[in-house]
Amino acid sequence: MFGLLVAQNIAFYVIAALIVFGALRVVTCKNLVHAALWLVLVLAGVAGQYILLAAEFVAVTQVLVYLGAIVVLFLFGIMLTRAKTGHDLELDNPTPAKVGAGVIGVLLLGVMGYALWDAWRGQELGDIVVQRTAEVSDSLFSTYLLPFEVISVLLLAALIGAIVLARRD
Amino acid sequence: MLGGDPLLSGDIDLAVVLIVLLKVVVVFALLLVATMFMIWWERKIIGDLQNRIGPNTAGPFGLFQTFADGVKFFFKEDLLPDRAQRRVFILAPLLTVVPAFLLFCIVPFGGDFANGANGTVELFGHETYLQLADPPVGILFALAMSSVAVYGVMLAGWSSGSKYPLLGSVRASAQMVSYEAALGLSVCAVVLTTGTLSTHGMVVHQAGDGWGSFIPNWNLLAAGIVPFVVFLIASQAELNRPPFDLVEAEQELVGGYHTEYSSIRFALFFVAEFMNSVTMGAIIVTLFLGGPAGPAPWGPGWLWGVGWFLLKLLVFLFVFVWIRGTLPRVRYDQLMDLGWKVLIPISLGWLLVLATFHVARDQHWNGVVVALVGAAIGLTFFGLLRFAIATSKARRLEGVVD
Amino acid sequence: MLAHLASFAWDAPSVDLHALAPEIVVAATLVVVLVIDAFTGEEQRWAASSVAGIGLLVALVPVATLAYDGATRVMFGGGYVVDDYALVLKALFLLSGYVVVLLSTNYIAEGDYWEGEYYQLLLASVLGMMVMASARDLISIFVALELLSIPAYMLAAWRKRDLKSDEAGVKYYLMGVFASAVMLYGMSVIYGYTGSTLLAEIAPRIGELVTSEPIITLGIVFVLIGFGFKVSAVPFHTWAPDTYEGAPTPVTAFLAVASKAAGFVALLNLIYVGFWGRHDVYEPLMWVLAALTMTIGNLIALRQTNVVRMLAYSGIAQAGYILAPLAIAGSSPEAADQALHSIVVYLLIYAAMNLGAFAVVMAVARKTRSAEIDTFGGLFSYAPGLTVAMSLFLFSLAGVPPAAGWFAKIGIFQALASAGDTSGYVLAVVVAVNSVIAFAYYGRLMRVMWMDDVPDGDTTPIRVPTSITAALVITAAVTLVIGVVPGVLTHFTDPINLLALGR
Repeated sequence: MFGLLVAQNIAFYVIAALIVFGALRVVTCKNLVHAALWLVLVLAGVAGQYILLAAEFVAVTQVLVYLGAIVVLFLFGIMLTRAKTGHDLELDNPTPAKVGAGVIGVLLLGVMGYALWDAWRGQELGDIVVQRTAEVSDSLFSTYLLPFEVISVLLLAALIGAIVLARRD
Repeated sequence: MLGGDPLLSGDIDLAVVLIVLLKVVVVFALLLVATMFMIWWERKIIGDLQNRIGPNTAGPFGLFQTFADGVKFFFKEDLLPDRAQRRVFILAPLLTVVPAFLLFCIVPFGGDFANGANGTVELFGHETYLQLADPPVGILFALAMSSVAVYGVMLAGWSSGSKYPLLGSVRASAQMVSYEAALGLSVCAVVLTTGTLSTHGMVVHQAGDGWGSFIPNWNLLAAGIVPFVVFLIASQAELNRPPFDLVEAEQELVGGYHTEYSSIRFALFFVAEFMNSVTMGAIIVTLFLGGPAGPAPWGPGWLWGVGWFLLKLLVFLFVFVWIRGTLPRVRYDQLMDLGWKVLIPISLGWLLVLATFHVARDQHWNGVVVALVGAAIGLTFFGLLRFAIATSKARRLEGVVD
Repeated sequence: MLAHLASFAWDAPSVDLHALAPEIVVAATLVVVLVIDAFTGEEQRWAASSVAGIGLLVALVPVATLAYDGATRVMFGGGYVVDDYALVLKALFLLSGYVVVLLSTNYIAEGDYWEGEYYQLLLASVLGMMVMASARDLISIFVALELLSIPAYMLAAWRKRDLKSDEAGVKYYLMGVFASAVMLYGMSVIYGYTGSTLLAEIAPRIGELVTSEPIITLGIVFVLIGFGFKVSAVPFHTWAPDTYEGAPTPVTAFLAVASKAAGFVALLNLIYVGFWGRHDVYEPLMWVLAALTMTIGNLIALRQTNVVRMLAYSGIAQAGYILAPLAIAGSSPEAADQALHSIVVYLLIYAAMNLGAFAVVMAVARKTRSAEIDTFGGLFSYAPGLTVAMSLFLFSLAGVPPAAGWFAKIGIFQALASAGDTSGYVLAVVVAVNSVIAFAYYGRLMRVMWMDDVPDGDTTPIRVPTSITAALVITAAVTLVIGVVPGVLTHFTDPINLLALGR
């Protein structure tokens, strides 16, 4: 079991590094479609981390929803509205804004990183419990029944509004 | 963690790793050979359907035609259009092929399921299933991969830097996203019937005897015929195969998203398309026709499993080609109407019907009453839907909305 | 396989349909409006607003029966609670939703906007607010927040052909989702630390610490900041003026009243039930937010020339007053009780007076086609009724008796004083100073209406449609009656108690 844990740790760090790199590229990329593709890498990396945590259902849902639907719609929107293939300088902010954002980002990273490290340092995850899909659905239809139903109204409303806003009149 | 395969439940030693590697190689080879065969099969059958001969020169019955084509593609000039986005252009064909391969990982292609056996096979002293992976969320993985497959098409069209490919890819992604809903809902019906998401579990569930103990307990019957039909139609749209091949409608779009591709990159698209056809056939067999389950009168049971699987798959590959050879291409609005106004309501409605019957059985309600009430409600909603569609059509004709 | 499935222990949750009846009625109304819209032609478009209005009123019936019953109903292990507090606020949301429907009827029909869909989204948003009033679980709170916000984003952009409206929608949307993301991160941290999404289970776990851990502080601050956006607290208010100005006026009224109230409801739920023990974290945060919000809101409101923008900034300032009691809520149970009551009372009164003010602005804008302050010049000479009503609402907003606002303000002062410490007194002084500043711009509008000349000499009377008249009558009556007899309101708000659940 020891070997498996080491392998898990290595995989975690490799994927985490990929995610961080991808996330940086998302914001530094000068091309909208490339940025979306880096985002795909980030989201896929997150799915990989879920698999490492034995949450297969969450991982597959992540792929299905984020990669398969949301980013596809991003790309779809980009292609339908502004099918610019080259670099896009409008995506860039003036330097002061960049510096400000950088400072705030580093500060946030410091604060959040410290808080997380402080709260969970030295704690071990213990044995990873395999999460069964049936358990997810059980809690979805008992404890979280009401939010689940509310979400259906939310999706209906979003659908109605999106159609109205998008269509010609 | 890696699924229900008994191979991975014990200690993992070198032999286990080797077995997994062996399975990877076998699955890979099987899929490649099947794809090459599929291309030949499609051309041959289409030839027969159109009173032509089809490929007949390379090898017996022209069997090596695909191989010859492949060699030819390999030696052609690799063109990179001037206005293309280089990296994405190169990436796109790979993004099409990889999901096609991954999709096949979860298909059980053999094993002994006769007489209550659960499909395990003894391999070098280890028990295992004849499928590369059996994750507990197997069929969701298949759906995820088929939704990821959109990327290849989409990026190919965008990165070509030319308008026909772009139009083709926009069409393709809209179409694939639309039909995924119907596809997913019909899979839901199967999941509801079998009570598992694992593909192996589905096959085990279907291996038992159904009605009258001689009809197989296939989901084709157990889940009703409707999910099967919906899945078959939606899968053709998902594969961008005729009659839903608007993506590459030659009259309108030259070649569709891969117009600018040539040489080996084009070959990758070409191969991925047929590979997806094979995989989709295999998934239909797994979902609705019991996969490798079937009687094993004599000899090794696992070989019978492989045989049954291949036979069922072959039937579907023929059906795919048959559909292609028979039906004319639909118009784009018809395509969307079919997806959103017919397939999705039907599969959703059928899912509710199935759920109702499950609840009724658990609660011991009177089956006849449930059927009558269900039919009444179903008809009401069918009427409402027709009415709504008619109203929207009337409004469109009035010019109130467009 | 099926037998295998059946072996999983699964308890069907007990669903109290009576407790959920108000929500169910609103959801059903939404579906009815949807179906009517799908099956009828152009001529029956009026049906949508009527059905929506009737549905909101019908939903008040179960609210009343539940209030009469009086029992606190707890569902889903404490994740959804229907008590007096929730019922009072549900009634508030339903009534303000109804008034907004009244305000919208003519505006939407005459502007040739999408009608049925408008009311569907409005109903969905009201439903989200009602769920929020009862939600005592991080997931329910988040889902309710999204249900009330997402339709509102789209309603803000409902005048599609107007760039200002588009700007309003996009700004509101971007700021809103950003706030949601921040809040969600905070929630995930809190869930990670406590291992529960139920506020009642979170409270003891973060309350037992002697001093707050950094991670808890971070989580609480992020969650509260997320709602700070919703209630447009400074410095998270930047979206509000542009959104209020660009959105269709009834939607602006809805955002300024119902949506803001829902944000406060969420803050109350979170602070009183979940974060109660951590007053060392939320009190300073709320103190700063409250002081900044009222001061900056008032100072900018002074310089506005547009009535809607002025009301927007005045709404920001009012949000500061409402936030103020939260800054002392943790000092003692009595102070907490005072603070809770003062906030709920303020929300109820604020809804009436602000909706009323918007109703007058809409009525006037029907003639002048503008909401600039100058266009209100000499309003008294040709529309005395509207002028008197507007004066009533402005008095109320400024806190002058006999309009209801004074009672709300007194409640705030009482709550701030009840803590008995310096921070409470200092904040009370800040509130007092700000109330004086606010007189300046309310008074300016009043002067323009009563004393100035009509800008272009056009003194043809304003024809006020029945629905707006109805809205004006309702809001003016509420404002006046509560101002004169506050007991009418305290009769409903006195039994409110949130702390009992957290303990």
